[in-house]
Amino acid sequence: MIGAAFPATLASAQAGDETAFACIFRDVQGPLVRYLHVISPEADDVAGDTWLQIVKGLPGFRGDEQAFRAWLFTIARHRAVDNGRSRARRPVLFDATVPFDAYVPADQLASPDAADLALEAISTQSVLALIKKLPSDHAEIIMLRVVAGLDPADVARIVGKTPGAVRVTTHRALRRLADLVERAGVLQ
Amino acid sequence: MTGPNALHGEMPGFPFPGRPGGEHDEPLLDIIIARRALPPDAPAAMHDLARMLAAMAGPTEPGEMVGEMAVRTAFSRVASPVGISSEAQQPARRRRTRQSYRPARSPAMLVSVVVAAVAGFGSVMAAYADVLPTPIQQLAHVTVAAPAPHQSPNPLPTLEGGKRTDVSPRPECSKVSANADEGDTPSPTPGGHRCNEVSPFP
Repeated sequence: MIGAAFPATLASAQAGDETAFACIFRDVQGPLVRYLHVISPEADDVAGDTWLQIVKGLPGFRGDEQAFRAWLFTIARHRAVDNGRSRARRPVLFDATVPFDAYVPADQLASPDAADLALEAISTQSVLALIKKLPSDHAEIIMLRVVAGLDPADVARIVGKTPGAVRVTTHRALRRLADLVERAGVLQ
Repeated sequence: MTGPNALHGEMPGFPFPGRPGGEHDEPLLDIIIARRALPPDAPAAMHDLARMLAAMAGPTEPGEMVGEMAVRTAFSRVASPVGISSEAQQPARRRRTRQSYRPARSPAMLVSVVVAAVAGFGSVMAAYADVLPTPIQQLAHVTVAAPAPHQSPNPLPTLEGGKRTDVSPRPECSKVSANADEGDTPSPTPGGHRCNEVSPFP
């Protein structure tokens, strides 16, 4: 995150300074694309649509860096939903009554992909591949809460849950991810 | 739900084998979420998880910058003139080119239009007042149905050797008529205009 310099950077970008806008773009583009890779099959296209809407609304934006990120990821989720509707590719929603192995079969965990992941160094793509094995709502909340750095209230507004439910789901998702890492042996 | 696939929240207090800490891991998970350093005595699985998520929340990688130029170009088009890049200047020139085909509406243009309108209206009024020179009055008579020019006792001026000769003085419209009784009679001119000039024909 940009931190203390964000207000000045934002003000410059709102005044038309392309360099300042590029600074904001480069700071948040990584988490944005990673988040979109989790919730959309066309992450790059959705990211482009998201930024176009950000550009249009930037002069009227008021808020700090946290609010900017919440705004950005809210738009990104809406664009991803629109993209999914247009392609009739609705994401499979997590059903708490279905056992975890129904989503991540044991043979998949032991697949060559998982074995390859175990041999790789820690990289963004390898970790992203593991997170995408989680139930969709768990993966999304991990991305918003941990990767994008949003607080529970912002995540709750984005995903349509209460902040308490977001906290519980975040802990649950992290435990599942830790379990998945241990079973896949990524870091060993 | 029972068995190893159950969630901690579904079976609180149950010691899941192979899982780090059960419900007691929440402080550690909160530390990971807040991106703070874990205590050294935290389980190894928590350290692994923290390293994974730190890598995931790392800075933007070069491969993730796809579309930066398109976004920056869109920004330049929307942004104010301050800080416009070279990519944005070309569309701006195109906008100005398109605007150049539109009719200008400057204050000078408006003044010119008003002056022309007043002059035209004044000319028509002068034609109906029958105060224009005979050729012009004749033209006005043909074009805008102004009163016909009065017949001058003198022939039309002719040009001899390029010089005007025998230019008769224009009849004075406001001159008192020689016949005072005819002062109330309407003018024979079609516009009802009364011209009190002296009749050349007694």
